[in-house]
Amino acid sequence: MDESPTPDEHLSRLMARAQQGDSNAYVTLLRAIAPRVRQLVRSRRGFLGENDVEDVVQEVLLSVHTVRATYDPARPLMPWLSAIVRHRLADAARRHVRQGAHEIGVDDLDVTSQTPVANSREETFGDPDALAQAIQALPPGQRQAVELLKLRELSLKEASSLTGMSIGALKIATHRAIASLRRALRGTDEG
Amino acid sequence: MRTDDLIDRLGRDVTVARPLPTPGMRTAVWMVWAVSYLIVVAVMMFAVMSSAGVTPTPLYLLQQSAALVTGIMAARAALASVIPGANDRVWVLPAIGAATWAAALLWAGVLDLRASGTLGVTSQSDWPCVSSMTVGGLVVGSPLVWMLRRGAPMTPHLTAFLAALASLSVANIEACLTRPHAFALTVLLWHGGTVAAIVTLCALMGHWWLRWPDLTTR
Repeated sequence: MDESPTPDEHLSRLMARAQQGDSNAYVTLLRAIAPRVRQLVRSRRGFLGENDVEDVVQEVLLSVHTVRATYDPARPLMPWLSAIVRHRLADAARRHVRQGAHEIGVDDLDVTSQTPVANSREETFGDPDALAQAIQALPPGQRQAVELLKLRELSLKEASSLTGMSIGALKIATHRAIASLRRALRGTDEG
Repeated sequence: MRTDDLIDRLGRDVTVARPLPTPGMRTAVWMVWAVSYLIVVAVMMFAVMSSAGVTPTPLYLLQQSAALVTGIMAARAALASVIPGANDRVWVLPAIGAATWAAALLWAGVLDLRASGTLGVTSQSDWPCVSSMTVGGLVVGSPLVWMLRRGAPMTPHLTAFLAALASLSVANIEACLTRPHAFALTVLLWHGGTVAAIVTLCALMGHWWLRWPDLTTR
């Protein structure tokens, strides 16, 4: 009699097919493991918010993608996956601590003065058309970085996935774009 | 980006990813390279020198065997450490090999003391071996690093430590084979010091050359 595979055997077979380049099997596998990864992350980092959990889940899925050749189809998939989750969680925690050491928490950004006039220049730029023109005048890479990160408010990772640019390159492009915009708008404002 | 969108994107990007051979198999491949290097260097040195200049006593052979076993075990452990879900205690076997190696050298030092009345600590400096081990470690270790970078950098510092230990164990054999040493303690201090210094440096720098690939889906 033909025995049906256990859930883990099923996942192992899907991964074996994914390693051969089967896109459908791979998507099925990732959709099957995503809830398990989410559950593992929640159980080990109960204090994380939903967005942070989802960030870690996506990081794990990207890690699975990049090191899928290290999976041996003769072995069960879950211990392999759990090890990746465990290490990516540890990496995320280390990153969080490192970032925390260089950041100062500010509960509320104070205005410079109670008088509205004193803050208008810092809070808003008066001429949206000039701003749009200045953005259009940026080089394509810088314009794309500003649009994704500042206007659409995507995360660096998301923007990196969409554009294929590295996170470092995106940061540099954004920094240069902001500097260019500042110069351009100052000129507009003064003129 | 939503997780479902990411999954779709990864599905579109998937290509053939042939499973890596087992760590044991990959260690064997690396050993072919390492032993070939040893043979080439030994033949070249023996051709230059009129004789080998090394007397293969049983204790000498034990030291070199222990170094070789340490190299093999450390390479296997390093290659296993980049496989998610592999045994966390991969460092145990190379640690046993290294301890045996050090014990054999210490015992040889005791025998030197009995025979000559001195440990010979200051009798011979060994800078040629330091440089040949450094260069040899680099030559032997480079392919190992390339192999490790195909895996998952779960524990970059430990992996780098083990890879450096593997490479320098083999480079130490080459240094011992091609240059005679009057006292065992010279080998322990100079070779052991070189191994300790380079292995520590590599372990500290592990995250520089063993890092997760750029996590973009391109």
